[in-house]
Amino acid sequence: MPIQILVVDDEPKYVRLMEANLLTEGYDILRAYDGQKAVEIVAENQPDLVLLDVMMPFLDGLSACGRIREFSNVPIIMVTAKGEERDRVRGLDVGADDYIVKPYSAIELLARVRAVLRRADTADSASFQQSIFNHENLRIDFTKAEVYKDDKMVFLSATEYRLLLQFVQNQGEILSSEDLLMNVWGDEYRSDKEILWVSISRLRHKLEDDPRNPQHIVTRSGLGYTMP
Amino acid sequence: MTVEPVSPDQYCADLIENLNQISRIVKTAGDIDACLNELIQAIRNIFIFDNVVLYLVQEDKLLEPRYARAIGRGRSSETDLAWGEAIANESLTKNEIIIKRDIDGDYTINRMRLRYFIGLPLSSNNERLGSLVFVRYGGPPYQSEQIQLIKQVATHFIYFLSKLNTNQKINKLEHELRLKRLQDDFVATISHELRTPLGFIKGYTTTLLREDTKWDNVTRREFLIIIDEETDRLCELIDNLLDSSRLQSGTLRMEFQQMKLGTIVKDICTRAQSFDENQEIELEINNPDLQVQVDPTRIAQVIENLLSNARKYAPGSKVMIALDKEKNHAHISVIDNGPGIDPDHLDHIFNRFYRVPNNTSSVRGTGLGLFICRRIIDAHDGEIYAESTPGEGSTFHIRLRLDQTNDQKTEQISVYGGEECPSKFL
Repeated sequence: MPIQILVVDDEPKYVRLMEANLLTEGYDILRAYDGQKAVEIVAENQPDLVLLDVMMPFLDGLSACGRIREFSNVPIIMVTAKGEERDRVRGLDVGADDYIVKPYSAIELLARVRAVLRRADTADSASFQQSIFNHENLRIDFTKAEVYKDDKMVFLSATEYRLLLQFVQNQGEILSSEDLLMNVWGDEYRSDKEILWVSISRLRHKLEDDPRNPQHIVTRSGLGYTMP
Repeated sequence: MTVEPVSPDQYCADLIENLNQISRIVKTAGDIDACLNELIQAIRNIFIFDNVVLYLVQEDKLLEPRYARAIGRGRSSETDLAWGEAIANESLTKNEIIIKRDIDGDYTINRMRLRYFIGLPLSSNNERLGSLVFVRYGGPPYQSEQIQLIKQVATHFIYFLSKLNTNQKINKLEHELRLKRLQDDFVATISHELRTPLGFIKGYTTTLLREDTKWDNVTRREFLIIIDEETDRLCELIDNLLDSSRLQSGTLRMEFQQMKLGTIVKDICTRAQSFDENQEIELEINNPDLQVQVDPTRIAQVIENLLSNARKYAPGSKVMIALDKEKNHAHISVIDNGPGIDPDHLDHIFNRFYRVPNNTSSVRGTGLGLFICRRIIDAHDGEIYAESTPGEGSTFHIRLRLDQTNDQKTEQISVYGGEECPSKFL
């Protein structure tokens, strides 16, 4: 079954641009022109990836991303005309997996899409000898790619799940920022520490009782992070 | 006439009541004139004086009279404010109460020649605000308890001035903050507006340049048209930015010519409809031969901007352009039946950078268009304004003075023609 990508932008010319390029790669395309419709389509069609513009009428991209995250861990790439750091962080902060800044080239768009899909795919197919992993009040069901905290299911984005698996697979070891960035995001993200900080922070908010005093993902100052 | 003597108890009760009243006045008064007008009546009940002048420290640090009243003897001297200036300066410089007696000739013949001054410094937290000077003609001299009393009044008034100063400073800061926000918003908007066409140009160009894909002719043409349109849009945006900047700095060149307004309006409509055949434009030209001295390119720019706004903010609405004569003015109305403009924003829409908040965010705009329109019409000595009823539509009115010049002038202008035409810098 072909990979299905939802492209969301209030400018039809952007939808057309993304669609034209993505179709050449064999992806199936769904379209939405506002955030509200995007949320509905994700709920109904469960696409494999969402390309989500930030500035849109009715429901902007950031709010739409937050709403999608309430029920789905579909990989989301925020597409923004704003290149400022705070806007990028805001996108990651509401649960996006990656971002791309307008103006972008067709090749850059396709590369980002491939990278995020690759991450999601690896996350889904990660194989473990055991099917259940427990760490204090955390439980991970590898067969279903589901995470529970105090027996309540926690929604993680594909990237967050993949990041968590890094700690599970290497429990007790210190993982450097560079290692995590390369293993989770890919070589091209090696120096993009900001994306890691935001993702770690989001994971802690979802998994830790007290994110400022984490028990599952602990910072080892100057060295990296570890799951004790 | 006999005057009943006031008992000491009654005197004290009256005094307290008057001081309370003074306290109330300074707390509630909105401006200096209102405050002093009321205050003087209350002060007169407890402190006898004939003239009073308030001097305030100006930005250049000099004292200037701000308020003067003559209510007792010597009313005629109200306009002569020089009498208190030396005392005002002295009291403020020394930051102390100055009491002086001034004799100008034989005061036994004219009591007005004997003057008792009291100057009160108005300072708060080491900030010199001004001085209050009272004068009494012919005496009696100020008694110590009266001096204490007027000192108290001055303290109340200092509170009022400080409050006023603080409010002015707050207003100034708020104004600066509003301007800064507008400019910040403008930078963000411009950044977005520049990136949008650039994004299309970059996106579609790199799409066409992809080496791993071949596009059919129809698709290639579709993409090239988009690139072409977006390049035009970028040019338009840059032109608007340059116009706005030139209008702001007063360096936009205007080329005035005698023109028939009806012809200009018709041309614009034809152009607008060729640009967007879906926009329904109805023309109602009642006086096609109205002559005006205008820069036709700039007037066309104004009307085109209004039509473009109607397309953007009143999509699907029919637009009517009417041209009428009103006394010695030509009146152009651009009317749409769109959603209209909220009355709160109507006064601001011609301001530079102003955009109606919460307007549909998908509509591109910079907050420059109507500002440019207004400045162009101003340069024509004309008038532009908008009327709107939310839910019913908006009407933009332009009034331009009809050309009263004779035929000889017309010839003279046509002789110059083109670049040599009499011109004007804004």
